[in-house]
Amino acid sequence: MNGAQHILDAFHRHNIQTVFGYPGGCIMPLYDALVDDVRVEHVLCRHEQGCALAADGYARASGKLGVCIATSGPGATNLITGVANAHRDSIPMLVITGQVPSALIGTDAFQETDVLGMTLGIVKHSYLIESAAEIPGILEEAMDLAQSGRPGPVWIDIPKDILLEDVTAAPMNTQAQPNDTCPDLESAIALLRTARKPLLYSGGGISLAHAEESFRAFAECSAMPAVVTLKGIGNSGKHSAHNLGMLGMHGSRAANRAVDECDLLLVIGARLDDRATGKLDGFAPNARTIHIDADAAEFNKLRSADVALRGDLNTILGELTRALRETPLVINDWRKQCQAWRTTGGFQAADNEEPLAPITGPAFISQLSRTAPDDTIIACDVGQHQMWVAQHYQFDHPRHHLTSGGLGTMGFGLPAAIGAQFANRESTVINVTGDGSFMMNAQELATIRRYNLPVKLIIMDNQCLGMVRQQQELFYNNRESQINLDDNPDFVAMARAFDIPALKIERTDQVRRGIETILAYSGPMLLHVAIAREENVWPIVKPGGSNKEMIDETRRTAADKKEMTA
Amino acid sequence: MKTESSHNATSYTITCRMNHEAAALERLCQVVRIRGFRIAKMAVDTADGALDIALTIQGTRPVAMLQSQLEKLHTVAEVKLAAPVAAAASRIA
Repeated sequence: MNGAQHILDAFHRHNIQTVFGYPGGCIMPLYDALVDDVRVEHVLCRHEQGCALAADGYARASGKLGVCIATSGPGATNLITGVANAHRDSIPMLVITGQVPSALIGTDAFQETDVLGMTLGIVKHSYLIESAAEIPGILEEAMDLAQSGRPGPVWIDIPKDILLEDVTAAPMNTQAQPNDTCPDLESAIALLRTARKPLLYSGGGISLAHAEESFRAFAECSAMPAVVTLKGIGNSGKHSAHNLGMLGMHGSRAANRAVDECDLLLVIGARLDDRATGKLDGFAPNARTIHIDADAAEFNKLRSADVALRGDLNTILGELTRALRETPLVINDWRKQCQAWRTTGGFQAADNEEPLAPITGPAFISQLSRTAPDDTIIACDVGQHQMWVAQHYQFDHPRHHLTSGGLGTMGFGLPAAIGAQFANRESTVINVTGDGSFMMNAQELATIRRYNLPVKLIIMDNQCLGMVRQQQELFYNNRESQINLDDNPDFVAMARAFDIPALKIERTDQVRRGIETILAYSGPMLLHVAIAREENVWPIVKPGGSNKEMIDETRRTAADKKEMTA
Repeated sequence: MKTESSHNATSYTITCRMNHEAAALERLCQVVRIRGFRIAKMAVDTADGALDIALTIQGTRPVAMLQSQLEKLHTVAEVKLAAPVAAAASRIA
């Protein structure tokens, strides 16, 4: 068995059934081995960035390891945005690239790049394999490392000659021992008991730790008012009475108000990102903080924690739930106050009653949320549509909401939807995108067609880079710069060129039928939704500003506008 | 050119043991840089397949943050932080 065959064998042993890749010169031995191996399904994307983002979407939607493969040089450099995206959102991913033969490394050989050097900052760990004997051990270690602790991408760069060498070494057993010992929770429980206005603040770490059930049990038992980060959307389910929604730059007024007023923040699986906290000086000014995470490096990074607990979230949440079941929190006044804020300060998406009126983003997303099946997976891109989805789509599970939170990668949604569909063959998967983002990985329409994936595509087209335009309007004195996309292609014709049926809607009375049509269709279908160019996402906090200073169009005055651009 | 941070930088000495493998030092230095510190002095020794590295670094951010980031590196076995040397009357170019 040569090195390439060993890699496929290891995939099989680890139940890795689907990988995303693109062949080329130095990875040819692996692709040659694939010819004789039917155990691994290889998905050929049309660009290496598409491979990495599809592997990312596969991992987010399934909770399993995502795998992507490419050749040396441009194959590897094209992967980089997708791998960085996975790194910023702690997605478990294995990246395998071919490298020029060992003897040619450092000679500026054809398609040679220093992959190890250029990717150091975007991986959890990386390896350059120097002998075939290393392959078994490094593969086992890499797969374990990518999925353990705080997950992340691990990259293995393998010279072509080593892929062809015989592998004789036995696989190493590097399975980490599960660490389910629970840190001392006494201090945390004491803080919870003395708090009068405690607030549960959860993020993407809940699903990364596969702790969704433990979290819901705790949230229900504690009945604490709760806010979520962008990546924590869905943690509480869509029926939670205590969930105030997303906080931060485009968060609900209710969520940001609760953060401002609370006296204790219980942060679980979140890293206090600047988009969530706004200006740190003004963030939760009256609150003490309990921070629970799998990664100790997140403690005290941006905000001091009164109590910091590192460990397995399932174990910690289980212990906290047990403690609060014995003696429930007495915070009824605070719950009532937050309920009142939720009623008046939640996200509102008024349906337009004028049938010929232009379609508005929030109303469209609300209708989509009401119409799509409960297990629908939405893969967003980046921009205004991403925030409308975060605000107005009701998610019942965090793995149903795939969004590029940390890196903010335009072009994420379409390949991520492809990965999600491979992970969940029977689920409805929808890529909600903008006209800017769609064009960044539109080549992957060919992948959808090739595998006849029933992915639905919704392009919310305002003929511009809407989020940039909005910030230029609000914070740069309306000086528009390089945001105009009014020369977009005909998206319906473009989809049809890939043999994907498509239709366009532009009036309110067409929304329901448009959504129902694409959802009812058995194969892939594209819905082109024309929306107004000038529509904005509300509320918004000025970048660098405090979350207390939310701007909402319904409350804007001339004085506000003047101050914003000052 | 002096940077603003160089005027207020504090010097720290960190010792670190890590696996001797490809790009080990680059990996370490990359973390030091991106987390806001400059390397003023570096000594490296090898023993038993490991690298023993002594770094004198300067920066204005909490050094504990750097320490926890270095400890996260998969191939780093140990990071020790000595007490701050002194306020660096920085002559960082």
